[in-house]
Amino acid sequence: MIKAENICKSFNNGTVEVLKNISLEIEEGEFAVILGASGSGKSTFMSILSGLERPDSGKVFYGNEEITSMNDKLLTDFRRREVGFIFQQYYLLPHLSVDKNVRMGADLAENKNYREIIEKVGLADKLKSRPSELSGGEQQRVCIARALAKNPNILFLDEPTGALDEKTGRQVLDYIMQMKKERNFTMIMVTHNANIAEMADKVIKINSGEIEKIYKNTSPKSAYEIGW
Amino acid sequence: MVISLKDSLKLIGIIIVSFCAVFVCTFFLNFYLDASKLEGAITDSEIIILYDAQMATAKFTCAITGGFLALIAVIMLIFYIKLYIDGHSKQLGILKAMGYSDGKIALRFAVFGISVLLGTALGFGCGFVIMPNVYKSLTIDGLPHIAITFHAELLIALIVAPSVLFSALAVGYAYLALRRPVSEMLRGKTEKKLKNRKIKEDKERAFLVEMLFKTLGGRKSLAFFIAFACFCFSAMIQMSVSMLDLSTVGMGAIILVIGVVLAVTTMLMATESLIRSNIKNISIMKAFGYSLKESSLTVLGGYHIFALIGFAVGTVYQYVLLRVMVDVVYKDVVAVPEYNFNVSVFFITLAVFIVFYEAVMLFYTLKMSKISVKEVMEEN
Ligand SMILES: Nc1ncnc2c1ncn2[C@@H]1O[C@H](COP(=O)(O)OP(=O)(O)O)[C@@H](O)[C@H]1O
Ligand SMILES: [Mg+2]
Repeated sequence: MIKAENICKSFNNGTVEVLKNISLEIEEGEFAVILGASGSGKSTFMSILSGLERPDSGKVFYGNEEITSMNDKLLTDFRRREVGFIFQQYYLLPHLSVDKNVRMGADLAENKNYREIIEKVGLADKLKSRPSELSGGEQQRVCIARALAKNPNILFLDEPTGALDEKTGRQVLDYIMQMKKERNFTMIMVTHNANIAEMADKVIKINSGEIEKIYKNTSPKSAYEIGW
Repeated sequence: MVISLKDSLKLIGIIIVSFCAVFVCTFFLNFYLDASKLEGAITDSEIIILYDAQMATAKFTCAITGGFLALIAVIMLIFYIKLYIDGHSKQLGILKAMGYSDGKIALRFAVFGISVLLGTALGFGCGFVIMPNVYKSLTIDGLPHIAITFHAELLIALIVAPSVLFSALAVGYAYLALRRPVSEMLRGKTEKKLKNRKIKEDKERAFLVEMLFKTLGGRKSLAFFIAFACFCFSAMIQMSVSMLDLSTVGMGAIILVIGVVLAVTTMLMATESLIRSNIKNISIMKAFGYSLKESSLTVLGGYHIFALIGFAVGTVYQYVLLRVMVDVVYKDVVAVPEYNFNVSVFFITLAVFIVFYEAVMLFYTLKMSKISVKEVMEEN
């Protein structure tokens, strides 16, 4: 279980208050969506939850482990063990092939069978391509493979379809859901798209750095059932 | 518009280099021009010997500092523009897509010449400020006092010409670098495609090893700049120590100070560009859970070999340069100064160099580790 308690964060010496006392819980294996308008603080919150950044005050727990009290080394170890990331801007290593980009994740978990995942996202014939030679949808699929190759227990996604058109966007979401079904990791996705939120088990709606409401979907939809 | 005056001011390295070059050349050349009026008026044969030696030293110092520093400034400028274009390829691609011609965009790069104008103008001014002291220390007993005159040709040669030349160079280089397909620039492709002699991809090579090799192979220009900075460090420090013997002590001291300032400046500039152009990759690795040590070593560690090569070449270069200059410039002078390779200076410089290089790398790595991964990833 992931638990955030009273998270506050501001920038520019406290003048820009981005997160105001956010608390929530996410169950193991759950698919949670953090929904909110652009600039509402979603990405900031996600990087605090995932140990990329520290809050000004408040705590984040994974089970009994408090990651907000860890030093840099422990935090790096934690990310290595537990989390995977998928970002809107991909952040692939531009000078390495698809194969080696995915291997970046795989080596962290000593995963020797990572090429299976590349096959599963449909990129078996692109192993040797560089990211700049791929379409947006293909690049995002490399990111999925890279994140999953390290066998994360929690997958964080920041607007994973933000740069994609409807068709590729749905396809990417579908790949992600298939993988989730297979491996049953916890998934936390940030989006401004209320349609995508209908796919989640739990929705956390954020407005100007505060939780507006938290609700559960009784019957989550698939990537092809939601509007766009 | 993408290129602004601020970008030009960021070229502190070039400002410093051009300042130093012009500073030294101003008072030496001015002295040379003023003192050469005395030629023919001197009759005492002993004084003629001293006089000839001094004129040779002035010529010698100007040729070495001016020539060497001009070369450094050229390389720095080209490198900076290359980094700038690579780092802004998306913005520049958008301008091209909107219909700005390569020439029109390239013309904006003329603003980089302003840093040279600034450096040379400051150097010229400061050169004049200390000129009375230089004249006093250089005046030979028995010769009439030499009056300082202003030489307009120096103003043109040391300020106007370099500024214009550097602007033209910046525009010309930018024009060549911009002649690439818009689609490539928009996708953020930087280096031209390395089709031939691509480093073979080893199918089973672990990620960290692959990263080490490919980072080096894909960034030849950075490897070159690091090697070049180390070349400068090695050459300038060793050369300026030798100048303590070859030039007058006072001048030697000035040149040594300049040598150290420049050596440090180029090294800082090179390491900063190295880190800056790799920080995103390091951050991605850190986000995924590679330690700072793993990420920075694979990304930065490979450059050690280039640093050492640069240092070695610099050592040879400064020896050959001084040897040739001493032999040529002092050819007709009776009092030829002794010049031999200084082994102890070599080892001391090497030791200082190694400590300095490692310290700078460590400093930047630690400074970088203080920035959160999110911040690095979000700034484009
Ligand atoms: N490093 C930073 N420095 C200053 N302000 C920041 C920084 N990161 C985010 N912000 C500000 O915090 C607010 C929320 O940003 P973000 O979390 O990225 O929002 P979202 O992901 O919901 O669009 C924005 O107003 C943004 O300008
Ligand atoms: Mg965001």
